[in-house]
Amino acid sequence: MHTLEPELRTLHAEGVIDDATAARALVRDRGQVFSLHTELRVTLYAGVLLVMAGVGIVLARHLDRIGPRAIVLAIALVAVACAVPAVRARLAGRALNDAGHYLLLLAVLLGSANLAYAERQFTLLGPWWSWHLLLLAVVHAAIAYAFGSPLVLAASLTALAGWFGVGVTLGDALHFASSTPELGARALACAAVIAGWRYSDRRARPDTRFSDVMDHFAANLAFWGAIAWCREWPWLAAGLPLLASLAYASVLRGLNAGREAFLVYGVGYAAIGLCAAVLPRIHGITMSLGFALIVVCVAAATLWQLRRRLRAPVP
Amino acid sequence: MSRWRPTPAEERWIEVVSELATALPRDFMIARTGGWRSTGLLARIALFVLGFVAAALLFGVLGLGDRINLLIAGLIAVLVAEWLTVGRRLHASGIEEGLGVAGFVLIGAWITTLIVPEVEFIGGTPHTLVLIAAAGAAGLRRLNPLVTTCAVLVFVHWSGSTTAAHALDAVIGHGVTTFGLGCALAAIALALGAREFRRPSHDRMLDWLVATLPIATYAKYATWNYFAVELVTVDGPSGRLATSVLLLALGIAMLVAGLRRRRHAPLLGFMGCVACLAVELRLATSLSTETWLVLCGLAALVAGVALDRYLRQPRNGLTSVALNDRDGPLDLLQTAGAALLAQRTAREFPAPQPSFTPGGGRFGGGGASGSY
Repeated sequence: MHTLEPELRTLHAEGVIDDATAARALVRDRGQVFSLHTELRVTLYAGVLLVMAGVGIVLARHLDRIGPRAIVLAIALVAVACAVPAVRARLAGRALNDAGHYLLLLAVLLGSANLAYAERQFTLLGPWWSWHLLLLAVVHAAIAYAFGSPLVLAASLTALAGWFGVGVTLGDALHFASSTPELGARALACAAVIAGWRYSDRRARPDTRFSDVMDHFAANLAFWGAIAWCREWPWLAAGLPLLASLAYASVLRGLNAGREAFLVYGVGYAAIGLCAAVLPRIHGITMSLGFALIVVCVAAATLWQLRRRLRAPVP
Repeated sequence: MSRWRPTPAEERWIEVVSELATALPRDFMIARTGGWRSTGLLARIALFVLGFVAAALLFGVLGLGDRINLLIAGLIAVLVAEWLTVGRRLHASGIEEGLGVAGFVLIGAWITTLIVPEVEFIGGTPHTLVLIAAAGAAGLRRLNPLVTTCAVLVFVHWSGSTTAAHALDAVIGHGVTTFGLGCALAAIALALGAREFRRPSHDRMLDWLVATLPIATYAKYATWNYFAVELVTVDGPSGRLATSVLLLALGIAMLVAGLRRRRHAPLLGFMGCVACLAVELRLATSLSTETWLVLCGLAALVAGVALDRYLRQPRNGLTSVALNDRDGPLDLLQTAGAALLAQRTAREFPAPQPSFTPGGGRFGGGGASGSY
């Protein structure tokens, strides 16, 4: 254990920090107030993860024993029960707490799994099955707006990306071998839709909490799309300038908003895209590795310099 | 004032600055922290990866076939890292950490090439031990808790390959020796955490061990035991009983220490112990996997909801409300986690119809590849 009390007292005695700041810092340093917020979020996320994993197995294994209608009904009831705290909070005009947000996410995910299962069993939409993802995206978005839940919005954006045929996890992004220009075009289109949605939302609701979530989705999808274009000629001719523009915009956004993540996106994706564009055209392993080494060194130096500028006051 | 790394006093001021960044004047910060320059968490992670990759690429450029290039690349990486530290006064900024760790590991890898293959050290291979020592030394040099923790975790896993561990395992159950060592180290780290350290980084190194050792060492043991239950035979309840008692004792100690000291690491370690005990329950009973998953998930949700409600008003100084708005990286992780869950759920959707061409790139829904 260590305590920073002597340093905090020195700062207060020298007049560097005011009474209120010193009191707050000392109370926290001594543990007189201690937040379990992080532990609670981890517990709630683990709960949602485990329940969804269990429900997934139930759907896969117990069809014959229970019957599809009973399964659909049971999961729907559980989903509704999970949404009760959120509905009650909304009716009472209270903001949703962390537990309410996670229960609402569980309700939404159970609803998604139920819909998918029902479609598999009863083929409700027949050949139009792929529209389910768009339907989910719209329904999830409506729920996210109704309850002000960024977690449900993330589920909605994931469903939207799925409708475009794009995965949103890091693993999907790193599958360079399966990245095609068509996939890149779809990722870019999805990013454009999310960016448009973000600006409309911002304009309609200046105090929105959703901009951050949409920014991250749009930035990642746009970069993945641009990198997919960088792998093949003639798409490369458009892919490289697009990648450069996106990197510039991302860095600018990072500097203006004081957001470190966008500096990392801008520099990191630019380095990956440059390597994806150039390395297949270089012959010889030493030359290839040498080029990659130069790119990595330049990226590290650039990121360091940009991060330093982030600390300076932004005009 | 030290040229090689921040003094304990400078490190403490760096900690104060990170707590009160916006409230302190810039000149004051530079004067007290000795001019050491750091960066934010996300940039640090990215720069660490870039530094590590740069050292690996350097080895590749020098030539993968020649063993001496391990030493040359390692020395160059370590020297560059030291130059960044001494010359540019970088501390905990990622790039010098990545280069330094990769450099030490490359030098360690070169040393392993000098060891005769047949040599054994208390029954285990010494090659891994050399690499562990190299990583541990790099972690201590850089005061980096992630690297020191990784070194300790690999050491605990390596200890399971020694003849002494095999002999003990034959008596008390497979994997129990490694797990017991992990718990013992976690308990030592927990006990040492009660002491007052001048350097905050030493505290963090112990914290990381307390939070990760139980669950990381149990993961290896439980993986083996899972297959033992499912595919082979159970080797008696004694090993399982010993494991459960260890987990219970360690979990209670961590909960008490966490609440008394008001530290997150013991509480996270306690949560890890509870998760391990839940797995033990699954292995010891005939509960189906899905029932176990749903029950555990519901238990976690009920506990979370109840604690959130109970601690909304601070009780005895404990609260469920966030005390600051610096949850940026955690918020990002939470968004990514929600997206991951949603993506897993979407996989329940039916496979594409035969008339549909996967990945066809047509919009209006037809573009969905079905692989999502």
